[in-house]
Amino acid sequence: MKLYDQIFNVVKQFRKLFSPGPVTNADVSGSITAEIFLIVSLVLAVILLRHVSVLLAGLATLVVAIVLITNIPLIPKFKIEQEDSLEKMLFYAVVTLSIIIAFLYWGGNLV
Amino acid sequence: MNELIPLMVIVPLMAALLISAFSRFNTATKVFAFVVAICLPIIPIASNYGLHYFGGYAPMLDNVTSVMYHPAITYSFTFLQQIFIAMIGLLTFLVVFVYLTKYRKVSGPYLFLLFLGTAAVTAMLLTDDIFHMFVFFEILALAQVGIVAASSIDYSYEMALKYMVLGSIGSPIMLLGIGFLLALTGSVNVTDIAAAVHNGLVDATSPVFLMSLGLIFFGWLYASGLPPFHTIKSGIYSKAEPHGAALLQSFTVISMISIVLIMFRIYATLPIFEVLIVFFSILAMILGVSLALTQTDFRRMIGFLAVGELGFIGLGIGLGTNFSITAGLFQALNEIIITALLFIGFGAIVEATNEVDTRKLGGLLAYHPKVSIMLLIAGLAMAGVPPLSGFQSKLMLVQASLSCGFPEISILAIMVSIATFVVFVKTFYTMFLKPKPNDLDLEGKEVPRAMIFTMAILLIIVVLFGVYPDLVTSGISNFVGGIL
Amino acid sequence: MAQTQLAILLTSVALIVIGLYSAIFIDNIIKKIIGISFIEEGANLFIVAIGYKAGGVVPILMPGMDTSWFATNAAYPLPFGLVLTSIVIGASTLAVMLALVMVLYRRYGTLSTKVMLSDTAKQEEYNE
Repeated sequence: MKLYDQIFNVVKQFRKLFSPGPVTNADVSGSITAEIFLIVSLVLAVILLRHVSVLLAGLATLVVAIVLITNIPLIPKFKIEQEDSLEKMLFYAVVTLSIIIAFLYWGGNLV
Repeated sequence: MNELIPLMVIVPLMAALLISAFSRFNTATKVFAFVVAICLPIIPIASNYGLHYFGGYAPMLDNVTSVMYHPAITYSFTFLQQIFIAMIGLLTFLVVFVYLTKYRKVSGPYLFLLFLGTAAVTAMLLTDDIFHMFVFFEILALAQVGIVAASSIDYSYEMALKYMVLGSIGSPIMLLGIGFLLALTGSVNVTDIAAAVHNGLVDATSPVFLMSLGLIFFGWLYASGLPPFHTIKSGIYSKAEPHGAALLQSFTVISMISIVLIMFRIYATLPIFEVLIVFFSILAMILGVSLALTQTDFRRMIGFLAVGELGFIGLGIGLGTNFSITAGLFQALNEIIITALLFIGFGAIVEATNEVDTRKLGGLLAYHPKVSIMLLIAGLAMAGVPPLSGFQSKLMLVQASLSCGFPEISILAIMVSIATFVVFVKTFYTMFLKPKPNDLDLEGKEVPRAMIFTMAILLIIVVLFGVYPDLVTSGISNFVGGIL
Repeated sequence: MAQTQLAILLTSVALIVIGLYSAIFIDNIIKKIIGISFIEEGANLFIVAIGYKAGGVVPILMPGMDTSWFATNAAYPLPFGLVLTSIVIGASTLAVMLALVMVLYRRYGTLSTKVMLSDTAKQEEYNE
C-alpha cells in the first residue's frame, strides 16, 4: 500500500503545478505520462554506458532507477529547475560550459 | 548559372534594406515584398551547382607543400543547399504572404527582420568560411530578437532580452573557439582547416584543438537550442507572432545543421565529438518532450516539442554513418515544414479565439473543421505516423541506430515518438473534442484565409515527402558521401 | 616579445572569467550587461593576440619594400580584419540589449534582474 499512497500523493502534488486555474484530468494524465517517461528514458539512457563498461552500466542503472523512483514526483522538481527566469538559465549555461571544457580538457582523449 | 549563387544572399539582404528605407510607400512596399518573396524559392531552383569565390580569388596551390589554399570567401552550392534554401525561401514567401494579408498597413522594419533572417541562414548554409558563418550567425541572432520583440504578445520584450543576454555569452565563446582554430591553422576556411587536420598538420589530440571543439560546441548548443538553452528557445517561440515563430524555428534548424556540418568536417576524427552530440541530443529529446507533456499554454508546448525534435537531428549526425546523417538531415527538412505548419495552425486558433490556455478551450472542431483536420495530420506527421514525412525520417533514424549497434537509442527514439503522439492526442482532445466551455465565445470569428492556404501548401509537401522520400534522400545521401 | 603576448592572453582570460562571474552573480541588469560584454572583448583581445608578431611590421606593403623581407616580418593581417568585424557586431548587439533595457526600465521602474526577468508564468500570476 505504501507505493500506492506515494503515487496518490504524486497526483495531489500535480495540483500545484497547474495553479492558478483548474486542473483537468487530461493535464494530470499528461503529467503522469511525463513522470513515467522521464524515469524510463533516463534509465534507458544510462544503459548506454555499457559501451564503456558493463559493470559500470549495471551499477549506474540501479542507482539511477532507485534514486528516481524514491524521489517521485519528479516533474514539479524538473519544472522548477527549468523555468524561464534569466538567473537559472544563465546559471545552467555557465555550468554546462565549464563542464564541457573541463571534460574535454582532461578526458577528451580517453573516449 | 553560377552567378545566381551570391544572389541568394544578396537579394533578401538588399530587399530588407530597401523595404526598411522606403516603408513610407505602403502599396509599393507590399508589392515589392511580395515579388522578392516569390523570387526567393525560385533562385536556388534555377541555379546550377558549383562554387563561388568572392572577389574572384581562385584557390592557390602551394608548390612547396602541394597544399591548396582558399584565399577567398567561398560559397559552395550543392543539392543539400539547394533543397534547404528552396524550402526556407518557400517558407519565407508563405510567412510574408500571411503577414501582408493580415495587416492593411505593413511595418517596414518587421519585413526587414524577416528578410534579414532569411539572408543570414542562407549565407550560413552556403558558406565554407567559419568566420563568415559566425558573422551571419550574429546577424541572425539580432533578427530573431527583433522578430520576438516586434510581437504584440505580453512579456515579449523580457523574453527577447533574456535571449540576447544568453546569446552574448554563447556567441563570444564560439568566436573564441574560432580563434583557437585560427591560431592552430592560420586559416578560417573550413576546407583548409579540415585538410590540415586530416593531413596531420594539426595534432588532433592537443588540448588546444579539444578546447576549440568545446567552445564551438557550446556556441552550437546556443544556436540550436539544445539543453541548457531549450527553455529560452521554447520561450521565444511562444512569445513571437505565430507566423514569426514558424520562421524562427526554421532559422534554428538551419543554423543547427549548418554549424554541425562544419563541425563534423573538422572534428569527425575525434570520437568524443560524436559522444557529445549524442549526449546532448538525448537530453534534448527527454527534457523537451517531458516538459511539453506538462504545458497548458499550447504555443509553449509546440516550442518544447520543436526542441525535442531537434534531438532526432542531432542523433542522426552524432551516429556518424552515411545512412544516419542522411536520416538526420532529412528529419531536419521535415521538421522545418511540420513545425511551421503547427505554429501557423495553432496561430490561426489564437486569431479565432484570443486564448492560448488549453484549459479554457474546447469544441473547436465544429467551428474550425479545416484547421483542426490539418493540425491533426501535422501532429501525426510529427509523431511519425505513416505515410507522412515524419515517419520516413524517424524510421531511417531507428534503422541507422540499430545498424550502428545502439538498440537503446532506437528504443528511446520510439518512446519519444510515442510521447509526442500522447502530447498531440491530449492537446487535440482538450482543444477540439472536449465540450465547449460556456464562457468561450466563438461566434463570428473566422480564421484568415491566407493561413489556411499556407497550411494546405505545407501539408501537400508533408504528404509528398512521406510518399516519395527518395526525392530528397538520394541527393542528401550523395552530399553526405562527399563530406565523410 | 613573448611576454607581451602572454600578458595579452592572460588579460583576455581574466576578462572572460570576470564576464562569466558577473553573468551569474550580479543582479543589476546594466552591470550584468557590462560584465557580459567583457566576454566579447576578451575573445576579441585573444584573436588580436594571435596576430601579434615579435618585432613585426604593419602588414601594408609600402613602395620600396623588399617583398621577401616583408613576407617574413609583417604581422598576420587576418585576425585584425576579423576582430574589426566582430567589434562592430558586438557594438550593435550591445545597443539592442540596452534599448530593450530602457523599455523595460520604464515599465518596471527597477533594474533588478530578479524583478524584471524572472519566470514569465510567475510574473503573469503576480500581475493578475
